[in-house]
Amino acid sequence: MRTRSEIRARKATWDRLAYHGIGIGTAFFFLAPFVVTFLSSFRPNSESGTPPLPPWPRSGISFDAYRALDGFGSGIWQHMFNSLVVSIGTVLLTVAVSVLAGYGFSRYRFPFKNVLFVLVIATLMIPFQSILTPLFIILARLGLNNSLFGLMLVYVTLQLPFSVFMMRNAFDAVPKEIEEAARIDGARDLRLLVRVLLPLVMPGIATVSIFAFLNAWNEFFAALVLLSSNDNYTLPVLMTAVRAGRLGAINWGAVQAGVAVMVVPCLIVFLLLQRYYMRGLMAGAVK
Amino acid sequence: MRELDRIGVALNGVRKSYGALQVVHGIDLTIRDGDFVVFVGPSGCGKSTLLRMIAGLEEVTDGEIAIKGRDVTDLDPSERGIAMVFQSYALYPHMSVRDNLAFGLKMARTDRAEIERRVGQAAEILKIAHLLDRRPGQLSGGQRQRVAIGRAIVREPDVFLFDEPLSNLDAELRVSMRVEIARLHRELGNTMIYVTHDQTEAMTLADQIVILRDGRVEQTGTPRDVYENPLNTFVAGFIGSPRMNLLDAEWRGSGKVRLADSEIEACLDSLQAGERIVVGMRPEHIRIVASGPDAVKATVEFTEYLGGTRYVYCKLGDAQNVVVELREGDDIPSGSTVWLTAPSERRRYFGATGARVG
Repeated sequence: MRTRSEIRARKATWDRLAYHGIGIGTAFFFLAPFVVTFLSSFRPNSESGTPPLPPWPRSGISFDAYRALDGFGSGIWQHMFNSLVVSIGTVLLTVAVSVLAGYGFSRYRFPFKNVLFVLVIATLMIPFQSILTPLFIILARLGLNNSLFGLMLVYVTLQLPFSVFMMRNAFDAVPKEIEEAARIDGARDLRLLVRVLLPLVMPGIATVSIFAFLNAWNEFFAALVLLSSNDNYTLPVLMTAVRAGRLGAINWGAVQAGVAVMVVPCLIVFLLLQRYYMRGLMAGAVK
Repeated sequence: MRELDRIGVALNGVRKSYGALQVVHGIDLTIRDGDFVVFVGPSGCGKSTLLRMIAGLEEVTDGEIAIKGRDVTDLDPSERGIAMVFQSYALYPHMSVRDNLAFGLKMARTDRAEIERRVGQAAEILKIAHLLDRRPGQLSGGQRQRVAIGRAIVREPDVFLFDEPLSNLDAELRVSMRVEIARLHRELGNTMIYVTHDQTEAMTLADQIVILRDGRVEQTGTPRDVYENPLNTFVAGFIGSPRMNLLDAEWRGSGKVRLADSEIEACLDSLQAGERIVVGMRPEHIRIVASGPDAVKATVEFTEYLGGTRYVYCKLGDAQNVVVELREGDDIPSGSTVWLTAPSERRRYFGATGARVG
C-alpha cells in the first residue's frame, strides 16, 4: 500500500523525465546537422569522399578542407568580408529606414497614410525574381552594377516592406502617454526617439535585424545576377563555385567547410538577439 | 498688479476643433495661484482635451493660455512650467524609478548634485525611497502612481496637471491616494488642475470645481457652491449622489406650483403662470410627513438599506421617480402611500431651458 505522497512523487519524477527526454530529443534533431557538418569539415582530404556517417574524422583532425576552401576565388576571407559588408550594411540601413518609417506610419496623420501602407505591404506579394531585370537595369544606370553597395541597396529594398510593417506594429504597441510624458520632460525629436522609444521597440528592431541579416547573408540569386567579378562574390555565390568542383569532381570537404564558415555568423547573430526576438514575435499576443 | 501675481493659469477664449468638429467652445477661466481646481464632467465633455491643451500636448485652435502671467499658448510642453500625471502612469518601463524621476532634469541638463537632491526630496515626500532602484514593472499600481507623481514633483512646476490619475486603482487605494494628493497640495502649495469624472474626488479635493459639458463651462465655484447653488439642471443632476430629484412641474402663479397631483408653495414671481418648470430637491432634504399643504403624494416602490442610511424609491402620481434618503425612522413597506416635502429654502427651481429661476 503506497501513500498518496509517494504516488505523487513518482508521478512527478515520470513527468520530469518525459519533459526533459522530449526536450533532449528535440534538441538532438536540431543540433545534429550542425554537428555533422562541423565534424566532417575536419576530415582530411583522403576521407572527404567517404560516406557521411560516422561524421567524425577517423584519421586525425585536419584542416585540409579549409585550406581547399581558401583556394577558391579570392580566398575565403575576401568573400567572408564581402558577405559581412553587404549583410551588416543591409541590417543598418534597413533598421534606420524602417524605424523612421514605422514611427511615421504609427504616429503621424497624413493623407493617404493607409493607402501608402497597404502599397508598401503589397510589394511583399511580388516575387522578387520578377523584378530582377528592372533592378539590374536601374543599378547599371546608376553605375552600381557589380558593386557590393548596389547589392546592399537591393537587399534593403527587398527587406523593407516586412521591416516597416514590423516596426509600425512595434511603435503601435508603445502607449502614446509615454511619448507625451517624455515630451513634457523635454525630450524632443531625435532624443525622444533614441532615449525613450528605441529601448521600447528593441524587440522589433532585433527581429528586423535578424531577418535582414539572415536574408542578406544567405541570398544567392540576386548576388549571382548582379555581381560579375570574382572578387565581389558573396559566400553563397562562392559556395556554388566550390560545389561545382573541378573537372566534375566535387570536393565535399571544402563544401562542408564552407557551410561551417557560413553558419557561424548566423548562429552568433541569432544567439545575440534571440532574447529580444522572441519577445518581438510575442508582442501583443497577451496584454 | 498684485492681483495679476495671484493668477496661476488663465484661459482666454480657448477653442479646439478637429476639422469641422468643435469640441471645446471658447472657454474663459481664471485659476488663482495655489488653487486646486478640478475639471469634472461626463465623458466626452472636453475636460481631458482642455487639460491637454494647457499641457501643450494638444494644439489650441483659437484663444490664449497663460501660466503665471506668461503666454504659453505656442510653447513646447517642457517650457510651460507644467508637469503632468497620466491615468496610465506612463512611466518609462526600461528605466529604474530613479531614472524615471531624473529623466526630465537630465533633459534640461540640470547638474548632477541638483538632480540627486530633487530626486531624493521627491522620494522622501512620496515615501518611495526604497523603490528607487526598481523598474516600474516590479511595482504595484499604487507605487507606480507615486512614481508618476514623483516625476511631476522633481520638475518643480508652476502647475501640476492630473489626468484622471486614480481611475486605474482599486477602490481602497483610490481613497488613500486621494488623501495623499490632498496632503501633497497642502505641502507644496502649487496650482493643481485635476481632471476626473468621479464627483467624490472632485468634491473632496477641489478648491474650485469647473463643471464642463460638451466643451462648455456649465459652472465654476467651490464644492459647496456648486452643490448648494447649481446654476442649471445639468449641474444639479451631475453633482451629488444619489442625484438631485429633478421633477417636472408647472408654475400656477400666486405662489403655487403644481407637482404631479399635488400643489406646493414657491415664490417665483418672475415667471408667467402656466410655465413649465423643474423642481429640484436633494434626497437628503426630503422628509416624509403626514399629509400636509406643502407636500407631494407618492407611492413607495422599494427601499435600499445601506447601513447608515436608506434610499427610498418612490413614484409620484404622474409616474416621476423620487429618491428619498432616510437616516432614521421605521422602515416603510413597499406600496404604501406617503407625503414628501422639503424645506422651502432647500428647494431649487429651474426654468424650461434648465437655467435656475429660484
